[in-house]
Amino acid sequence: MSALLTVRGIDRTFGAGPSAVHALREVTFDVEPGTMVALVGRSGSGKTTLLNVIGGLDRPDAGTVVVDGDEITGLDEDGLSRLRREKVSYVFQTFGLIPVLSAAENVGVPLRLAKADPREREQRVRLLLELVGLADHAQQLPGELSGGQQQRVAIARALAASPRLLIADEPTGQLDAETGLAVMGLLRGVVESEGVTAVVATHDPVMMALADRVIRIADGQVTC
Amino acid sequence: MKLDRFVPAVHWPSVRGRARADAGPLLLVAAVVAVVALLAGGTPPLLRGTSDDAVRDAIRRAPDSAAVQVDAEWADEYGPTGGRQRQPHLAEDVDSLGVLAQTSLLPSLQKSLRPPVTSVSTVSLAITDGSVQRRLRLEYLHTAAGGPVVTWVAGGPPRASTKIPDIEVPLTAPMWPIQVGLSEAEAAALKVRPGDKVPVQDDNRNPYNVRVSGIFRAADPNDPAWQLAPWALNPVPNVDGLGSTRLAGLLSAESLPDARLAFRTDQLRRGVHFETDPDSLTWESAEALAASVTELKAGSSVSADYGNGLKWTTALDSLLRDVRDQIAAASSQAAVLLIAVLAGALLVIGLTTELLTRRRAIALATARQRGASLPAIAAELALESAAVTVPAAALGLGLSVAATGGAALTWVVPFVLAALCAGPAYGVLAAARATRDRRVPANRSARRWAVRTVLLRRTAVDVAVLALAGAALVALHQRGVVAGGTGLDLPAAAPALVAVAASLLLVRLLPRATRLALRLALRSRRTLLLFGTARAASTASRVLPALSLTAAIALASFAVTLHATTERGLTEGAWLTVGADARLDLRSETTADAPELATRLAAAPGVRHAVAAQVNEVARFTVNSVAVDAELIVVDTAAYRALLADTPLPALPAVATKGSPIPALVHTSDGSLTPGVNFSLLRSGDRAAPLTAAGSAPGAGNVVIVDAAAGLEFDPNTIWITGPGAAKAATDLATGGRLTTLDNALTERRTAPLTAGLLRLYWVAAAVLLALGLLGFALAAAASAPQRWETLARLRTLGLRPRDTQRVAAAELLPMVVFAALCGPLLGSLLARVTLGPLNLRLLTAQTENPEPVVSWWTAELVTVAALAVVLVVVVLAESALRRRRRLGEVLRVGTAG
Ligand SMILES: Nc1ncnc2c1ncn2[C@@H]1O[C@H](COP(=O)(O)OP(=O)(O)O)[C@@H](O)[C@H]1O
Ligand SMILES: [Mg+2]
Repeated sequence: MSALLTVRGIDRTFGAGPSAVHALREVTFDVEPGTMVALVGRSGSGKTTLLNVIGGLDRPDAGTVVVDGDEITGLDEDGLSRLRREKVSYVFQTFGLIPVLSAAENVGVPLRLAKADPREREQRVRLLLELVGLADHAQQLPGELSGGQQQRVAIARALAASPRLLIADEPTGQLDAETGLAVMGLLRGVVESEGVTAVVATHDPVMMALADRVIRIADGQVTC
Repeated sequence: MKLDRFVPAVHWPSVRGRARADAGPLLLVAAVVAVVALLAGGTPPLLRGTSDDAVRDAIRRAPDSAAVQVDAEWADEYGPTGGRQRQPHLAEDVDSLGVLAQTSLLPSLQKSLRPPVTSVSTVSLAITDGSVQRRLRLEYLHTAAGGPVVTWVAGGPPRASTKIPDIEVPLTAPMWPIQVGLSEAEAAALKVRPGDKVPVQDDNRNPYNVRVSGIFRAADPNDPAWQLAPWALNPVPNVDGLGSTRLAGLLSAESLPDARLAFRTDQLRRGVHFETDPDSLTWESAEALAASVTELKAGSSVSADYGNGLKWTTALDSLLRDVRDQIAAASSQAAVLLIAVLAGALLVIGLTTELLTRRRAIALATARQRGASLPAIAAELALESAAVTVPAAALGLGLSVAATGGAALTWVVPFVLAALCAGPAYGVLAAARATRDRRVPANRSARRWAVRTVLLRRTAVDVAVLALAGAALVALHQRGVVAGGTGLDLPAAAPALVAVAASLLLVRLLPRATRLALRLALRSRRTLLLFGTARAASTASRVLPALSLTAAIALASFAVTLHATTERGLTEGAWLTVGADARLDLRSETTADAPELATRLAAAPGVRHAVAAQVNEVARFTVNSVAVDAELIVVDTAAYRALLADTPLPALPAVATKGSPIPALVHTSDGSLTPGVNFSLLRSGDRAAPLTAAGSAPGAGNVVIVDAAAGLEFDPNTIWITGPGAAKAATDLATGGRLTTLDNALTERRTAPLTAGLLRLYWVAAAVLLALGLLGFALAAAASAPQRWETLARLRTLGLRPRDTQRVAAAELLPMVVFAALCGPLLGSLLARVTLGPLNLRLLTAQTENPEPVVSWWTAELVTVAALAVVLVVVVLAESALRRRRRLGEVLRVGTAG
């Protein structure tokens, strides 16, 4: 079985001259489909930069990234948009929900962008909200939900368009330990049930325990 | 004790740093302050200068009303035998009157008056040579310069009729001979030569012995003396309103004593006439002149028997009163417009300050946490604010001085103070809030209480603004704008306050409206619209952006409405005075051919109608033996009706052409003539003509219209012409007379100083207000841009195409644009309806009633929509261009940090 994500020789430098920051150096690794990978490192080690490059939110100075057979480092903006609609989705530390839309409508956003049939959309949204345990909160606005609930809505939204790769940058960073644990458990669960591949940046030991594999990063270099 | 315990510690590096980081918004505030200072500082001096021009203009247009007339009593001079004695030096006596009158005036006022013309005129005598309605006066004229100079083309100047200079004649003596000179035109009209007698008699049928000594030609027909008695040069038709033509015989210093002997004292008037010199008058000196003449007038009425026996009359005071009313109307409109601009500018400055404070929220909070006290922060912000507003205001005022020669502070000072305080006030509030405990109460009732407090505070603000606007509106209707008041008076602020209050009420509905739009968008398949609406819904509760945009557009379209209404009023006023596309006022020698000329004019190319009429501006009627003065128009009513139907003037009802008494259409402003009433026209030397009011005449003022065939004498002196070729045909075909065209009349009105100034001010105010509104919109967009583009970046991570981001951004800003484009012009036209009456536009448009507001709703709407659309596109393109180079990862990283 071939890797779902192939990362080869990624370099990313911010700035130039003596103040240049080498955020990523020669990063290379593979991720098998259906696995959950924890990306671990101290603050400033380059986790976010790496996730941005993998997800096509940033371009590397050198190296290639291949997701599910698409070399995203060679795609133009439209190609990246298509990729995001079809294959890659993100979960952020700050949830990023649209405040005036209900939980259900937020989950439905990717399906709207993919021009899914409204009836199918509603069904899928209901299913996903059940999956993340928020079926009873479908009509509530993000502001009326707790942080953990909001992050669960964000996860449901990330899964809405049935992506192959889920990228999560410190998804529990703004949550208390207990809630964070629940969200982690949820992520682990959806990787199993939805068959997605997940790369999750974290410095939470629990997450490391839940992951199939841990990639350590320090000073922009993958150490193991 | 150390002083700096009381002076808040200012941290200079943070003041500098903040100013450098936010140079853009600060410069914008400076620009707004400078423009407003220029406009508000420059308008009052401009208006004052225009007042001087208006006075001069009014005097130039009505030199007769501005003139000062002084009449002096005569004392009868009896000789030793009880008869009347000839006074050989009478002319010198009369001439010295001028000096006497002049010395009674303040020396400062003498400068504003032209050298006097002294005159003696007799009553008018009927000429009994068989011609109809011609009357003769005898005139003695004398100017300080020794004029009027004449050359004798036949015969010689009038001489004394006796060898004995101080002869005494018995009271019952036969007609005393008088010699007069005649101008060539008059001699020709009377068909007399030197040596001939002019057969004349007074109204008691007493004949007079008037002999022509010679025929003269005026050296300078423009000599002020001739202006005073134009009938001494040419016969003047219809001066008395009774249809008679006036001629005059010129007396000389030598024949004046004979005239004195030939006439009774009450048949001779001597007087001094001063023309005002408009160029040397200002508004102030004209007022001083009118006041001093009024004083002399009042003095003369009590002390005529004593003192010097001079009687002063002038219409200068009433002319000035009219000008003053016009200036008052103009300044109240200027005040209204300036306050509107100030209000728009204040809203924009508030918006900028809000944007600034928002950008600085974190910095202010950290400063506070580091231990900066609130007074210190306030002091820092006040310093910054002063550094921005004070030089800007100085620049604006300086420009105003350079451009207008002055700068008024009445409006500028409060405005600058408000602009000065806005920054510190907002900043301190933000800093205070940053350190206050802002956790949402956990307790449900406490939370509800907090919500209710916010709602209560909001309602209080709304009610206060509404109450203020209502009070201003009532004050405006009850007492109008106080002319020359301190500037910031409540009635003048009414339009601005009403616009702000109404916009506020409407803006409060905006969240509800966007929520509704969101619900509709959710149901539609237009994903981009949904995202835009969702963003709009989350910013809709911000009041200031939509408020400033809507209020500014409402006030701008109000200014446009004022402009359109004034323009329309001027046009209507011009129609009223001219009566057609062109009017030809004929001179007496050409009036005989008037009907024939009208026929030829009507046949000329480009002429639709030409109607000849006899117009007597003042004719005297009696109703139940009460005298009524009215304009008399004798005209072919059917043709006149057709002509009027071709103009925007009111239609003429049908009236019978014949009958006894003669049917007439009537209109009087006091209602003394109403349909059904019988009345009569007084005619000189003839029996009164019986009339009956058969219908209502259109128009204002007193007017009586009678058909030409009804039996009154018909001696047309006016021809009205309509059609595009009216003016040309009249110039080509008419051999004499004065042509007035609608275009000329309109241009004259439009270019009158006050009117021209106001018409310009309307445009400037409208443009500035529109610019302020658009600026407010751009600012509001800038304030919400970071959040907008962060959301867009998030949507891009969900698969939104890059090119769609601009459309979503536009869709977000669209509700505000649509809202302002709909409500702004609508509010503006409503505003015009409720506030235009008390602004007394009629004083400027020379109409008898205030013009109906001309709401150019569509123009305002089109301009607004076009301008907003352009700004919307520019804002969106600029925002996306600014962010094009930034990668999504970066935007979101910043987003998480913020
Ligand atoms: N836009 C940028 N400009 C300059 N340096 C940056 C930028 N983004 C990230 N960096 C630097 O790159 C390094 C890696 O950062 P990041 O990927 O955010 O680390 P992590 O997510 O592990 O905390 C850090 O030293 C950070 O300061
Ligand atoms: Mg990070």
